[in-house]
Amino acid sequence: MSRSESPRAVEPAIAPWGPPRAAYVHVPFCRHRCGYCDFTLIAGRDDLIDRYLDALALEIERELPGPVEVDTLFFGGGTPSHLSPDQLARLFGIVGSRISLVPEGECSIEANPLDLDNERLAALVQAGVNRVSIGVQSFQPGELRLLERDHTGIEARDAVRRVRRAIPNVGVDLIFGTPGQSLADWSASLEACLALEPAHVSTYGLTFEKGTSFWSRRERGALRQSPEDLEREMYELAMEQLPAAGVPQYEISNFARPGFECRHNETYWDARSCWAFGPGAASYLGGVRRQNHRSTTTWIARTLTREVAPPALVEELSPEDRAREAAMLGLRRTRGIDSAAFERRFGAAPRSLAGAAFERLVSAGWLEESSGWLRLTREGRCVADTVLMEFLSPL
Amino acid sequence: MQREFIRNFSIVAHIDHGKSTLADQLLLRTQAISDREFQEQILDDLEVERERGITVKARAVAIYYDYPGPSTDAQLPAGTAPPPPGRYELNLIDTPGHVDFHYEVSRSLAACEGALLLVDAFQGVQAQTVANAYAAIEGNLEIIPVVNKIDLPVTRIDEVLNEVETILGLDAATALRVSAKQGLNIEDVLRAIVERVPAPRGDSAAPLKALVFDSKYDDYRGVVTYVRVKEGRLAKGDRIRFMKGATTHEITDLGQFRPHMTPCESLGVGQVGYIITGIKALGNVHVGDTVTHAGRQAAEPLPGYKQPKPMVFCGMYPIDATDFENLREELEKMSLNDASFTFAPETSDALGFGFRCGFLGMLHMEIIQQRLEKEADVDLIQTAPNVTYEILKRGGSLVQIDNPVDTPDPGEIEEFREPIAKVTFIVPSKNIGTIMQLCEDRRGTYKSTEYMGPDRAQLIYELPLAEIIYDMHDKLKSATQGYGTMDYDVIGFRESDLVKLDILVKGTRVDALSTIVYRGFAERRGRALVKKLKEEIPKHQFEVALQAAIGAKVIARETISALRKNVTAKCYGGDISRKRKLLQKQKEGKKRMKQFGQVEIPQKAFLSVLDAGNDD
Ligand SMILES: Nc1nc2c(ncn2[C@@H]2O[C@H](COP(=O)(O)OP(=O)(O)OP(=O)(O)O)[C@@H](O)[C@H]2O)c(=O)[nH]1
Ligand code: SF4
Ligand SMILES: [Mg+2]
Repeated sequence: MSRSESPRAVEPAIAPWGPPRAAYVHVPFCRHRCGYCDFTLIAGRDDLIDRYLDALALEIERELPGPVEVDTLFFGGGTPSHLSPDQLARLFGIVGSRISLVPEGECSIEANPLDLDNERLAALVQAGVNRVSIGVQSFQPGELRLLERDHTGIEARDAVRRVRRAIPNVGVDLIFGTPGQSLADWSASLEACLALEPAHVSTYGLTFEKGTSFWSRRERGALRQSPEDLEREMYELAMEQLPAAGVPQYEISNFARPGFECRHNETYWDARSCWAFGPGAASYLGGVRRQNHRSTTTWIARTLTREVAPPALVEELSPEDRAREAAMLGLRRTRGIDSAAFERRFGAAPRSLAGAAFERLVSAGWLEESSGWLRLTREGRCVADTVLMEFLSPL
Repeated sequence: MQREFIRNFSIVAHIDHGKSTLADQLLLRTQAISDREFQEQILDDLEVERERGITVKARAVAIYYDYPGPSTDAQLPAGTAPPPPGRYELNLIDTPGHVDFHYEVSRSLAACEGALLLVDAFQGVQAQTVANAYAAIEGNLEIIPVVNKIDLPVTRIDEVLNEVETILGLDAATALRVSAKQGLNIEDVLRAIVERVPAPRGDSAAPLKALVFDSKYDDYRGVVTYVRVKEGRLAKGDRIRFMKGATTHEITDLGQFRPHMTPCESLGVGQVGYIITGIKALGNVHVGDTVTHAGRQAAEPLPGYKQPKPMVFCGMYPIDATDFENLREELEKMSLNDASFTFAPETSDALGFGFRCGFLGMLHMEIIQQRLEKEADVDLIQTAPNVTYEILKRGGSLVQIDNPVDTPDPGEIEEFREPIAKVTFIVPSKNIGTIMQLCEDRRGTYKSTEYMGPDRAQLIYELPLAEIIYDMHDKLKSATQGYGTMDYDVIGFRESDLVKLDILVKGTRVDALSTIVYRGFAERRGRALVKKLKEEIPKHQFEVALQAAIGAKVIARETISALRKNVTAKCYGGDISRKRKLLQKQKEGKKRMKQFGQVEIPQKAFLSVLDAGNDD
């Protein structure tokens, strides 16, 4: 044990997490599990969808004894768009029975390009969905094949255009660092994406997660991870090309036209409360994070028998650790954190959390502080984990 | 207690052959402990002993045995009458088997007239069996061979007895066969002790002579001194004098271990017990010293023995400089209980203020470290251990080098000497070739081979200590499928072609990574070392060059490329806890790093000098 002083965060009088104004619903179904994906989902078991919806209704009733109002609602997955139009309508009905969105609220859904036929689109519009995030991942045929996606670049392009006619706020998700992808390939995907003039772009560096087929293929030597240098160049390219086209960066992996930032996700980076439903979904209420059982089948079975499946996690942090976590999240945002406001909310100044490392990170050019805001520099974003780590435990 | 009714003996054996388990049985049979108090290896009461299941410190116990008279098949020493039946006081000493603690065996033997030499019924004679048997033979002790673990499903009793004869030169016909675990034939052991171990000799009317054979520190009573009375009598209230220490004290308390400290009025010739004199520091009691009366002094002290010298050294540095004083206190506490552990302050450019600590061997080092980690609230960086060296300087002065950094310039060195050990291996015959190759590769000098039967042989080599302490035991075990054993004994220092190998990190020498190596191995070692360091040191914002050098000459290099990208792409609701924990863990790992210039070196890297070994 080190005896060095650690900043003592004192819980402020007003709870830093605030009242819940956001809700997340996890829809754990996909046609097929992509080789790199480790999300909570079950592929090829559409027969479970109706029972899932039954269970979801029970869970929402159980957790929300009365109606609640939220500013943002997010349907994530899995692939929510994989549900049939009827099932979608049922999903929205179940959620809407207890959760209502304020008039200017944001209602997002994640979708795969091929799913969004006119019938489904109509169901979304009908339900008040006003933001769609499309999992395009790439416009290059070779990459799409390796990533085990079921659409072509052209189909993705068409999907974005079609969806936008019904719901203007469309986001495109892209993956870089796919084995074999060149810088030129990546640039071409970014160009193709920008040509569609999306409101929002997410760029995710491919990670090899334990338990995925990509992981074991890499272990076997059947798949080569992109070199670190190349991944960095790709990331830097996104940070240049997207803002230059009018889509500035607002978080480590997210870019948006001004006003089109995903407000729901900002709830997470701002460490505010959120309801969450469905297997593997993590709620944050009253300062307690609680993640549902991660197995879709177990979650369904237990919820249907009116039991509570053992949660994957129940966590209530000390004020100090809560402040540390909030710094980790807040610094992901490009604008960074407002030090004074942060200290009022969490009872600790953000720089004190990094202790002696703070000055080093600043002089390394990874962290900067100006007019009361603390943020990662562009260099710092490339090595964000190395920087954020320093905020997570006293030394 | 009359001299004729006292027997003093040690239990000696190779590691794990069952010494402490046999001691349990002897205690149980003689009701020194009750069934209720019984627990396995009851004498191993130190925490490290219980944790590791080994004996580290010798333990003396007095037990009382009602000897019924000789049995029909009693093997009495030739030409002696059987001892009379009656109540006998048996002073037994359970000893450690591990080579690091061999000195505990030697001094225990000096307090006895006999030794039970245990041999595992399956494993047979092993390296420490030989070492301990020879020590007992040299001390002129009556040895009773005891084949233990006869309950094992597979035994080799006949071969084992043959080994006892051929290798140890003992009469196998006199061996007992027991199972300490199952309590089989324990009575035979007790009887044999009375019949075969000579009663102590010595004149109870002569001036007092008692041998100090051990000591320990007790939080309440101060130093407890273990003695064996050779002549005269010791009583409570006596004014005594330590002949070598030349100090005088009054005995405030005295007694026997039964097995707990049990006060008594006096100790007579042959008896083993403890005295308490109000001495506060262990350093003030010299093991091997002679106790006599302050008034009526003995003319000559007993021969005694030397405190063993630490041969293995390493640096210990607090990660947080403000912990220096805490660490010093903890080390002092440690040395109070263990006089063979030494420490002295030193400074390192890389690690700041710390201590150079000396140990008897690697196990000893591990044990002390483990205790420090547990008992001291101090985060430590430990450097790789090295043996001690001797340097004869131009001009004739002789210096001892416990830290490679202290090596003088080559120009000042007349002779660079390293400790040499005589190593005894006992290995399956079919592995002899492999072991000989291993020894040749490590600069060994062949001495002899002796066959112990058709399948096993004893091989003797002289090897530099530096080549054996780190991983020789592991290499031996893997070369012999676990059947080989070894023992060593440092026999002196010998000149050798040694050089100091430095490691430069980003152009600057990191003194705590310097090692002394044999010149012929320097290049290979240097390469292995920088390669290993490359794995251990995390990427930085810039490139980090690693070089191995002898003097100004770089003999190996590696480069750690700059950190380019390290960022988690997704961090939404369900990812947050996992992410936080992961980064927290990485940060915790960094606590064990030391900032050196711009480079952070993890604590593990300082030990990698060890792993990088001689082979790759
Ligand atoms: N089967 C069997 N096992 C035994 C017997 N005697 C001891 N053992 C086992 O052998 C192991 C070592 O026993 P110890 O008594 O600790 O051996 P030791 O010689 O004191 O060991 P060190 O003090 O470390 O040198 C333990 O697991 C005992 O249970 C026996 O007669 N039969
Ligand atoms: S479609 Fe999306 S959620 Fe489903 S398996 Fe593929 S990457 Fe994962
Ligand atoms: Mg033992």
